[in-house]
Amino acid sequence: MNILETHDLTKTFGGLTAVEDVSFGVRRDSISGLIGPNGAGKTTVFNLITGIYKVTAGQVVFDGKPIHNVDPHKIAQAGITRTFQNIRLFKRLSVYNNILTACHGLAGYSVADSTFGTRRYREQEEQLKREASRLMDVMGLAEWRDKQAVSLPYGVQRRLEIARALAVRPRLLLLDEPAAGMNPDETRQLMTLISRIRDEFGCTILVIEHRMDLIMGICENIVVLNFGRKLTEGSPRTIQSDPQVIQAYLGEGVNAGA
Amino acid sequence: MAQFLQQMINGLSIGSVYALMAVGYSLVYSIMSFSNFAHGGVIMLGSYFGFYLLTLAHWAFPAAFVGAALCSAGLAVIVERVAYRPLRLRNAPFLYFIISAMGASIFLENFVVATIGPTFRTYPTVLPRAPIEIGSVYIGRLDIMIFIISAVCLALLVYFLDRTKVGKAVQATAHNARAAKLMGINTDLVITLVFAIGGLLAGVAGVMFGMKYTVYPQMGGITIKSFIAAVFGGLGSLPGAVIGSLILGIMETLISGYFSSQFRDLISFTLLIAVLVFRPMGLMGKATEEKA
Amino acid sequence: MNWFYIKGILMLAGMNLMAVLGLSLLTGFTGLFSFGHAGFMALGAYAAAWAGVRMGLPFLVALLVGGLFAGLVSLPIGRLTLNLKGDYFCIATLGFGEAIRLILDNVQTFGGARGWPGIPIRTELWNVALICVAATLFMVRLVNSRHGRNMIAVREEELAAKTVGIDTFKYKMLSLFVSAVYAGIAGGMMGYYTGFLQPKMFGMARSTELTIIVIFGGIGSVSGSVLGSVLLTALPEILRTFAIWRLVVYGAAVIFIMISRPEGLMGGREITLEAIRRLVRGRRAEAEAGAGAGTGVGEVRR
Repeated sequence: MNILETHDLTKTFGGLTAVEDVSFGVRRDSISGLIGPNGAGKTTVFNLITGIYKVTAGQVVFDGKPIHNVDPHKIAQAGITRTFQNIRLFKRLSVYNNILTACHGLAGYSVADSTFGTRRYREQEEQLKREASRLMDVMGLAEWRDKQAVSLPYGVQRRLEIARALAVRPRLLLLDEPAAGMNPDETRQLMTLISRIRDEFGCTILVIEHRMDLIMGICENIVVLNFGRKLTEGSPRTIQSDPQVIQAYLGEGVNAGA
Repeated sequence: MAQFLQQMINGLSIGSVYALMAVGYSLVYSIMSFSNFAHGGVIMLGSYFGFYLLTLAHWAFPAAFVGAALCSAGLAVIVERVAYRPLRLRNAPFLYFIISAMGASIFLENFVVATIGPTFRTYPTVLPRAPIEIGSVYIGRLDIMIFIISAVCLALLVYFLDRTKVGKAVQATAHNARAAKLMGINTDLVITLVFAIGGLLAGVAGVMFGMKYTVYPQMGGITIKSFIAAVFGGLGSLPGAVIGSLILGIMETLISGYFSSQFRDLISFTLLIAVLVFRPMGLMGKATEEKA
Repeated sequence: MNWFYIKGILMLAGMNLMAVLGLSLLTGFTGLFSFGHAGFMALGAYAAAWAGVRMGLPFLVALLVGGLFAGLVSLPIGRLTLNLKGDYFCIATLGFGEAIRLILDNVQTFGGARGWPGIPIRTELWNVALICVAATLFMVRLVNSRHGRNMIAVREEELAAKTVGIDTFKYKMLSLFVSAVYAGIAGGMMGYYTGFLQPKMFGMARSTELTIIVIFGGIGSVSGSVLGSVLLTALPEILRTFAIWRLVVYGAAVIFIMISRPEGLMGGREITLEAIRRLVRGRRAEAEAGAGAGTGVGEVRR
């Protein structure tokens, strides 16, 4: 069964069509990939799913409910969250506070509760802090706890962004080029991490990635976009040998160039 | 009808001075994306430069005019060097620029109060006061001169930006500062130049404003109107700044002519709010969707 | 310097602090710049004076009326402007601030531009102190709760805040509302302190001054706002003999702060009981780093 489906998803900016009639499904508990050459519209699809962009036409259905044109924070509360291609951490906050902030949804105390320091406030705040610490341990961030996010090494920043996303307890996690800027060793670690997250946190994962080794290594299903349209969809094996995909990546040169 | 025509001409005249000031706001905004609130201080000092060149140095009017413009240009460049350049070098967020600009504006205004004094000063008469009579319409000579000078200055600016190599560098920087830099444009120099141009126009506007009204340290506050005009037209757009200014000028004179001048400022600010709420990119700006 | 003089400065500092604390929440913690907060002060001042003088309500209740009225007006303003991008929001607040002042200029029942004399003097040092302590405590509690953290998230990275499920608009509204209430109460105290109200007391210059104090104290620091309010209120008063040059120095100082120490006095840190204790123990270095990890009154921001 699919946890997420898009139906004829279309987005235009002024006269420019970034995404056109894209339909695909993401199977529950799977790790799926979204690939395509630069400018194929991958990040735009993420922005449409997470509500950052309004949909021009078509639908996004999450868990059987349409969610397109719903406010981003409501989509997050419904269980979809993401990371960003160009890392968007709460830069000047510590690692701990980045995660603690994102845990907010687990508490429900009011402004009055915090003002008067009621039991509700103290208990829930305690719970948030425990959860933040736990996430830090699980994601191997404990040693960086009080470091400012912006001062972290690149790879750690990416990991922190994933940890922060997990604090929302998502059922669907969207990762936008999580391996960008990582060396092969870090990329291998990331692959293990992604699989582990799926198993331990019980969430479905959709990844945009350029690193074919990563995509082919962990994804069960891959959707290929080209020029804003869906080119094809299938298992890593079929995608790898699909002549259309090869051509899209290598360009027109394969036919016309020689 | 005659009264209406007269109001329109008054409005165009005041609107064209707003345009000179608004262009200064817009130019800086187009390159550095912040509202240079120190611009009002430069305009005020421009007015003082002109005043003293005429009364103390006894320069001829055209010479005093050019002198005031050049002094203001120098001042604007100094403000940029002192208050903005250090911020620019460390990529400070826009709000630091705005605060720094506020600081510069407080400094300039009170520096004048402390050294010259808070009194209002009147420009010596340069043109005969008697208006020109066309049919039943009376037009002030000063108003005509202001309109012509403003129009000439704006035409020169457009020529400079569109036809010269340096002007094109300015436009390129406004379009995309980083790309411009990579293409070998000295963006530091472009920024200095933009402040110099803004300063020149500020000087011209200051002198004309002083001639039409009076000179006093707080006159920079009035230039907030030209800022509204720039927002109205679309911050960063030069044609927008000019059109916004003319509309605001005409609107203001019509309102104070037919209702009361009490209302005038209220309407200006209401206009500002309405534009921001319903069309924040202004008349000539383009809408953009934030990119993730 | 006699007590009477010092008392005056303290009361002025307290009233400034009230407005600055509110603005600090909006600017320092939520990252929204307002150049129209003097407008909220004006609304609070007039509403509080109306409640006390015309309706005969007791002083503290009248202040509350002033604060709530300013807060109430901030709601539709926020609704209209909080979705604007940073600098446009700041221009819009400038517009609203000036519009409020110009409207008051024309409300004849409150004296219009000529002003409203004869407001009874009710603001005393003890009630200013009381209100400031309560307001500071509330602020500290607020910024250390999940609500405060959500506001900080808006300041740091609004888009990311949305994607972790924070209703950024709601928190911007809350922040604006609370800051307007604070400004309103500050304005109310001011009216009952000078005994006279005039719209031009609440011009753009005052809004700018409030913002400058917030920046001076340090973005995202409650204790910085307190320190900033006291210092920047006292300094010009002490420099009275300096008279006309003091605003020149002031302007230059603002530029100097921006280019040399933009993080302000406190740089986002807080003076906490915990930090002071550590300092006393002589573990200075740890206190510096640990200002972010304290468990004291004002915890963790950086």
